Amino acid sequence: MEQKQPYTVLAVDDNRLNLKLIEKSLSKEGYKIFCADNGPDARAIALKEKPDLILLDIEMPGESGFDVIRKLKDNAETNAIPVLFLTGVSEVDSKLKGFDLGAVDYITKPFHPLEVLARVRIHLKLSIATNSLITGQANKLRQLTEAQVSMLPTPADNPDAKFGVYYKALEEAGGDFYDILNISENIKGYFVADFSGHDIKTSYMTASVKALLAQNCTPVYSPIESIKMINDVLVEIMPGGKYLTACYMHINRTTHKLTIINAGHPPVVCLPVKGEPFLIKTEGDILGMFKDAHFGVQSLTVSSGDRFFAYSDGLVESAEKKITWASGADSLLPVYREVAGVPYEQAPEALIHYLFGKGTLPEDDIVVLCVEV
Amino acid sequence: MDFNDLASRLGVDEEDFKELVELFVTTTFSDIGKIKKGISDNNPADAAAASHSIKGAAGNLGFDEIFSLARDMEMQAKKGSLDGFNSYIKDLENKVSALNPSMRG
Repeated sequence: MEQKQPYTVLAVDDNRLNLKLIEKSLSKEGYKIFCADNGPDARAIALKEKPDLILLDIEMPGESGFDVIRKLKDNAETNAIPVLFLTGVSEVDSKLKGFDLGAVDYITKPFHPLEVLARVRIHLKLSIATNSLITGQANKLRQLTEAQVSMLPTPADNPDAKFGVYYKALEEAGGDFYDILNISENIKGYFVADFSGHDIKTSYMTASVKALLAQNCTPVYSPIESIKMINDVLVEIMPGGKYLTACYMHINRTTHKLTIINAGHPPVVCLPVKGEPFLIKTEGDILGMFKDAHFGVQSLTVSSGDRFFAYSDGLVESAEKKITWASGADSLLPVYREVAGVPYEQAPEALIHYLFGKGTLPEDDIVVLCVEV
Repeated sequence: MDFNDLASRLGVDEEDFKELVELFVTTTFSDIGKIKKGISDNNPADAAAASHSIKGAAGNLGFDEIFSLARDMEMQAKKGSLDGFNSYIKDLENKVSALNPSMRG
């Protein structure tokens, strides 16, 4: 899993309290924040760090916000950075002056941190959209000529993600796939998918999905937005009749919030640190088939030590025994309690051994991912 | 004043909010010092700038009474008048001192 650079925001305000409030609110959502309490320092940081966005107070002693933006726009190295003014000045003339100087938006003081976060997201999305459109991503992916090797991240390579995994492909070109997204220091994404079919096209699509996850699972997009954008591209590029089911878990270990997006996939199992295992049931359309697909969304507050299991249907289905995942998932719940005492890195393998024993071959590809908060 | 309620309105946890309040108390007393200097130098512009700073910070944290007082001070100083500012400052100091998080457990 590649270490991704976080989006960066430069906050400029002569009041240290405002800077601290912005820094606390945005950093826990995965952004890296630079702070400056005066114009010259702000411009120096902007030149050095090239932030993705600048939040700029207008009324500052010495160099005002208007002076700062004028100089930023005069410099070829900083003139493309979007600037949002933070201001207590409400007169229309002042706002118009700011827009004329190149600001993209205003946030009026006193500001609410969640409004700042929402506007930062919107303007970063706009900035991204001008550089790369969905069709641009699709065209690049169509040019892929070979699947990447070693696409499946390992726990040893990603200790911060706190996960364990069991992966077994029945055939060489397996249909199951998983990936770990390093969205920020404390925000990780966990993706488990099951492609229809087992052929070379599946391998190709696996590489495409991995690239799409890297491009779209970022702090700027909410989990559902990420999956919808990925779906929009997949609908364009998936070979006829091909689709995938998927489950995406987005965990913010600072806010202790888990969001699950379900695209026609078996339900996630929660094994709470205290309590019995239970299914997190959501329903959603499959990926790659429908432009207007609806995906299941569940958000939970989680506690340290809680575990979540995402898996492919090979774990719970059996054509031989005529068990579908809808009923199979429920019946396997007590088994998760059996692996509660096993370290999370080994829990998926322990689960497999408990279910299948040593001699029985599974009927399908299997991936089991265990994530601990 | 319920810190837990104010913290949740801002979307931060109570410990972060207490840290912000401690910083607010520090920066506000620093700004009060600038207002006092503005008074002694008969410089309403400096007093207005410092009041503006207090107003913004108080508003962001939800301290409405401090916000209102600082706003009124800013407006009056921008008009060039520092009448009654010593009394305003006493009121401001009392309100800010009452925020000391250590008194709230």
